[in-house]
Amino acid sequence: MKIAVCFKILPDYDRLSPKEWKWDEHHGVDTSFVRSIFNCFEESALEIALKLSRLLAKPSDKTELTALTIDNGQGDLFLKHLLAVGYDHAVRICPSKRHDLRFSPLSVSRLISAYMNLSEYQLSIFGKQGGEGDNGQTGFLVAEQLGWPCIREVTDVEKTQSPGFLKVTSRIEGAGLLQRIKLPVVLIMGHSPNSSYLRIPNLKQKLDAKKKQVTLLSEHDLKKDDKEMVIPDKTLIDLQRQKTDQSCIFLEGKTARDQARQLYDQYLKERLPL
Amino acid sequence: MTLARQAIVDGLKNIAGEERVITDEQVLKENSHDRYKKLETVFGIYTTPIPAALVKLKDTKQASDVLKYLNENNINSVARTGGTATEGGLETIVENSVVLDGSQMNQIIQIDSTNMQATAQCGVNLGEFEDRLREKGFTTGHSPQSKPLAHMGGLVATRSIGQFSTLYGGIEDMVVGIEAVFPNGRITRIKNVPRRAAGPDIRHVIIGNEGALCFITEVTVKIYKYFPENNQFLAWALDEMSMGFKILREVMVEGYRPSVARLYDVEDGAQHSFDQFAPDKCVLMFMAEGNERIAKATANGIAAVVETYEDCTPIDGKIIENWFNHLNWGPDKIAQEREFILKTQHLAYTTEVSGNWDCINTIYENAIKRIQNDYPYIDDLTMLGGHSSHSYQTGTNLYFVYDYDVKDCKPEEEINKYHIALNALIVEETLKAGGSMVHHHGIGKYRTPWTRKEHGSAYYILKGLKDQFDPNGIMNTGTIYPVE
Repeated sequence: MKIAVCFKILPDYDRLSPKEWKWDEHHGVDTSFVRSIFNCFEESALEIALKLSRLLAKPSDKTELTALTIDNGQGDLFLKHLLAVGYDHAVRICPSKRHDLRFSPLSVSRLISAYMNLSEYQLSIFGKQGGEGDNGQTGFLVAEQLGWPCIREVTDVEKTQSPGFLKVTSRIEGAGLLQRIKLPVVLIMGHSPNSSYLRIPNLKQKLDAKKKQVTLLSEHDLKKDDKEMVIPDKTLIDLQRQKTDQSCIFLEGKTARDQARQLYDQYLKERLPL
Repeated sequence: MTLARQAIVDGLKNIAGEERVITDEQVLKENSHDRYKKLETVFGIYTTPIPAALVKLKDTKQASDVLKYLNENNINSVARTGGTATEGGLETIVENSVVLDGSQMNQIIQIDSTNMQATAQCGVNLGEFEDRLREKGFTTGHSPQSKPLAHMGGLVATRSIGQFSTLYGGIEDMVVGIEAVFPNGRITRIKNVPRRAAGPDIRHVIIGNEGALCFITEVTVKIYKYFPENNQFLAWALDEMSMGFKILREVMVEGYRPSVARLYDVEDGAQHSFDQFAPDKCVLMFMAEGNERIAKATANGIAAVVETYEDCTPIDGKIIENWFNHLNWGPDKIAQEREFILKTQHLAYTTEVSGNWDCINTIYENAIKRIQNDYPYIDDLTMLGGHSSHSYQTGTNLYFVYDYDVKDCKPEEEINKYHIALNALIVEETLKAGGSMVHHHGIGKYRTPWTRKEHGSAYYILKGLKDQFDPNGIMNTGTIYPVE
């Protein structure tokens, strides 16, 4: 089974203070001084794929893992990490600097679909939203372009005894859904409590990964020109930071017992199950 | 004759009142350890004897009464405030120990802006203390990563050090006067004066005693004017730690006193994402602070020193500032760490040592090599590196950092298989090269096999303190002093 996990590297926005959110003329915020991190949903997707690759049903059921990202450089460090923990291939698509892909999931999906068509992949996994742009559409668009079925809010994936099928757990409106799915398929990861952290390579794996190569592909390599990449369906007019001030109540009781009582009466009582 | 568990509890209730003597099993379990045995406690496994009781001390007089009672009845005590210790110093290794909890002695007694000193009870949280001081334009200059959680008593008891130590010094440089209670119940106050030559400096009997000699009830520390607006961050990427140590030395010897002076090796730097800005490089960083002219002169002087080294490439100081502003450990990070450990069985530990300039690089290289060559479970390590974060005229510290995946062992076996074994190799190499086995965490209960070697002939003095002040051996048995 050939699996491609598509992931995005993001600035760690939690480390950006409100005063540092200043837009430039291209609607960009300077994050050059902030570390980058894996998008959390895709971190789960990457770990799930690793678990899938280890659960071999039969020797013939070999899994080949590809990690795919689109950016202009930062991704290599993360791709090396993925090579170290067991990914077979690391691919970075380098978009033209003329194209701002942050709010263009259709352009992104076209690049990914073009890559997927280069090889015989059977499973593609995405995170449900990207944090930056936050479109929540890329996985669906890729599924549509590939003509594959798509399952959203996935929390877990397991192999079955039949190589062409997967057991997929997802959540729909608060309920759990367990399905046996025929490949190929696009899976869109939601919150996955069992695979929330990507594994960490040991010292030897890190050293070995340094010697491995990241495959670089341009839009041209994927036969995508400006006509397909620039989609004139919308124009970014303005961006504003959402205010997230949280209200706070001080418990005024004199003793811990009084304060605990207030906490229970004023907050917990109505929230706890009867 | 030793008292039975219930008799100890009854005796304590008579002295401190029923409401201050806690015997709830879960509370006692959580107070039987510190942040040393992380994996065990995350899995709810407590291998250390559970204390008989925890006493939430009200005031100095009560601390005196309780200690006198424990001393007369040969009951082991473990002093505790914020609970952020990392070396097992808070483990209750003796059956039916009593935890002396000073966290409710939490009054800021005075902020004296004339004499530039502030007095706090042992249970005052450093973060809150700093907030109060900063409202008035002052700071203690003390800022360990545990600031959001640690309390003043524990910080002084462990000879804590903060991130701005290269300018302000360790806690021992900050303490002016101190109040403590000894096991016989005697309350001692060392007065607040700027300096004196009235015999040996007896503050140092109390500072760093780790609850093995006395219980600290109140401390007075120096305060300084606070000018965060003048902070300047500088950083460079370089190839070798040896060159970094050389530059650190030159900065210190030339007389500059940045508040932060740090040097990270490639591996440890990558843990902090420095590899995103300086791939495969060591990172040297400084923060200059103080009034505008001092901060500027310090930054310019340091830059002039570093720029004489051709192989150093500047890094945007904003990167370091952003990173530095997220370094502290609050309750949120502790909770995240617990969840991470529970799900991944992946742990991170440190061993901090120090050495003079002429041996610090030897310690660094030999300890890393020793682990690479001699440690049998090297394949389980996911990170091995270190950094220097506190520099002096005569030398610097080294913070070895090692992370590992726990494999093929039970949670209660992990500490021996990994942390204790790795710590031992580092301590041995440090002592061999002439350094100190412990820079600022305290000896706790797990570096005691080397206490004698650390002090050499001066162990006579250290031992004398225990004999004099705790002849019955009821003060935090097994901490600093090896169990005979």
